[in-house]
Amino acid sequence: MKRYEVIIVGAGPSGLSAAIEAAQSGLQVVVFDENGRPGGQLFKQIHKFFGSKEHQAKIRGVRIGENLLAQAKELGVKVILNATVLGIYKNKEVSVLIEKEVQNYKADAVIIATGAAENMIPFEGWTLPGVMGAGAAQTMMNIQGVRPGSKILMVGSGNVGLVVSYQLMQAGCKVEAIIDAAPRIGGYGVHASKVARTGVPFYTSYTVLEAKGNATDGSVSSAVIAKVDERFKPIPGTQIELDVDTICIAVGLSPMSQLADNAGCEMTFAPTKGGNVPVLTQDGETSIKGIFCAGDVGGIEEASSAMIQGKIAATAIAQELGYIDHDTFEEKKSIYADSLLKLRAGMFAPGSKGKVIDKTDEGYTISKSILTHGYLAESELSDFPALDTSGGEHIVIECTQNIPCDPCQSACPQGCIIVGDNITLLPKLSKEKKCTGCGLCVGVCSGQAIFLVNDSYADGYGTVGLPYEFLPYPKAGTIGKALDRSGREICDATVVEVRANKVMDKTAMLVMKVPLAQIGSARFFQPIGLESLEGVS
Amino acid sequence: MSTLRIEKHPIIEEYYKGPLVHFRYDGKDAEGYAGESVAAALRAMGVRIHRYTTKEHRPRGVFCAIGRCTDCVMVVNGIPNVRTCITPLEEGMIVQTQYGLEVGEGK
Amino acid sequence: MGIIIRTKHTQPFIPQPDDSMIICRCEEITKGEIRKAVYDGMRTINEVKRYLRAGMGLCQGQTCQRLVLGIIASESQISAGELGHITGRMPVRPATMDYIGKSTEHSEGVERYESK
Repeated sequence: MKRYEVIIVGAGPSGLSAAIEAAQSGLQVVVFDENGRPGGQLFKQIHKFFGSKEHQAKIRGVRIGENLLAQAKELGVKVILNATVLGIYKNKEVSVLIEKEVQNYKADAVIIATGAAENMIPFEGWTLPGVMGAGAAQTMMNIQGVRPGSKILMVGSGNVGLVVSYQLMQAGCKVEAIIDAAPRIGGYGVHASKVARTGVPFYTSYTVLEAKGNATDGSVSSAVIAKVDERFKPIPGTQIELDVDTICIAVGLSPMSQLADNAGCEMTFAPTKGGNVPVLTQDGETSIKGIFCAGDVGGIEEASSAMIQGKIAATAIAQELGYIDHDTFEEKKSIYADSLLKLRAGMFAPGSKGKVIDKTDEGYTISKSILTHGYLAESELSDFPALDTSGGEHIVIECTQNIPCDPCQSACPQGCIIVGDNITLLPKLSKEKKCTGCGLCVGVCSGQAIFLVNDSYADGYGTVGLPYEFLPYPKAGTIGKALDRSGREICDATVVEVRANKVMDKTAMLVMKVPLAQIGSARFFQPIGLESLEGVS
Repeated sequence: MSTLRIEKHPIIEEYYKGPLVHFRYDGKDAEGYAGESVAAALRAMGVRIHRYTTKEHRPRGVFCAIGRCTDCVMVVNGIPNVRTCITPLEEGMIVQTQYGLEVGEGK
Repeated sequence: MGIIIRTKHTQPFIPQPDDSMIICRCEEITKGEIRKAVYDGMRTINEVKRYLRAGMGLCQGQTCQRLVLGIIASESQISAGELGHITGRMPVRPATMDYIGKSTEHSEGVERYESK
């Protein structure tokens, strides 16, 4: 039986990070993954991540994946693909199906980093082709390069539902609606806003009743949604039939903890962690010494924290097996723990699950409009700290919820934006420093919540610079309509400039000219002749 | 080639796929790219039905796209229950709609 | 998982309009069948699995486990946390029995990064 010091199951963000950390400490490590390509779900995350620099904030998930792979390769980490782990046993033996044969391995330590699977909700017709997980749609379009459908209904307004909706539009699909049975939008307000301002309607307190099939092949041809009462029961007479060919379900994730259970680890049912999970120590060790879990398998969070958890588990193993001394372990662990703590703060932190939060940490009233419609009401915005009312060219930061993120602070070469060490706090504008209108923050903000406004552009006209990630990139001179935060057409607009550079990584800053009276409302640009965003081909 | 294929994307520069290959889908000539999933090649052709269930003979298609749910299984090269969402397309593959556990008549 | 009180339902099973809805996609088990199983005395998720095959198909309950738990919980008035989970067993992924039978210690298949 072949031996390794560490066997890692899963080559996603957590497993790869663990492998890198273990290899750096000198451990002999192997990673098994059932897929043909490594990276887990990272390569379909084409949006920019949140957090701070240490969490690789403002970098797209796909690039983080590429970096992890490059690092693993450089360290000589052995990643065995198409290798399905079928079982793990108490004595740290691992059965792996490789090429039609089951092979057994023995390890001194095992890290289970198998991630999570999408939750589903049943409704009439949910087995019809065309109903799929939001992650499935994401795989089809971002990995395979094929649109899952043309007209989409998104069920679920958590971050997955919001991010995938946005990416569906980037792929050239039309998102007809995003619905959620809860009365509030579940994901980050900034993610909701970037979808809302393109004109996608949100229906909170709505559920999907039925998927109807077409006469040709029986796949989805429409969806019936209805409003629900406080007990989530559909209210008769509120049905709306939507003309869609695809229904994406984004109602949360469940840890894939079967291997931990199979090994005999103590399990617990923890709704806040997403279901049945192994009981873990701070280092991620299960009740069986030497068997660890890292990432979503131990409780649903996101990729950034999964990567840190992987590193913590590997560090603990390195100490246990004598590759690093106790002091080094404590030092590393405290850095990682601190890093993890930063991500686990704010309104959407695991500890805030299920709580209704009405005020920010600073005491500002959280926008009700953003929670129900997905966009800020202009009247609510004036309450927040980052509203610059001075004249000339200046930025407006529409970041109104406590989420762990600070790239705007380091992006500004002038030091105009202040978040501070507590990255969950809202950004503020410096009173002394003056914005030069470079627009870097506009392109860098992972939430696409910063706008560059100029109220002295020309007689009667101002400009609004906004983050833009759709094809075709309009050129200077392109004529279109300006949309407000809700996606409603408010006036004519002309593109005066499209700025892009390496730091902004494919997010352009589109500057449009609008009547002066509209610079506080105009937040998106729609070229004329393109009713939707189907401008891809 | 297909309106469902994404030719240009604002963020993704290229998709990981090999050369154009030919395969058979339910007895007909079909094309796709080597290395992309069988499911993706079929979707690009407009195919959404992968199989009909054993008990109720209802159509099923791609549901999870990462090999977890097993809804998208088809008969590939004569072997039933092949998860098409994680099976890379190869030149000369024979892909057939699965009826229960078998290939339907005339396919 | 604590002790489950198995008081039999004294009331008759009342059909619901959505009883025909599929819950376990692999084995095509409906909501009505699962509800009925609870009235037949099944309580834990593993009992329902053995009784109906819900969660015993190709995906091994990956999709339906949560849903089945929810139905049992609401019918039996026992919280989902008390109803257990589908036991994780080798093989946790679909694998041909033929391959499992031929368990060997052969060379290591496809390696993306071979260390020197």
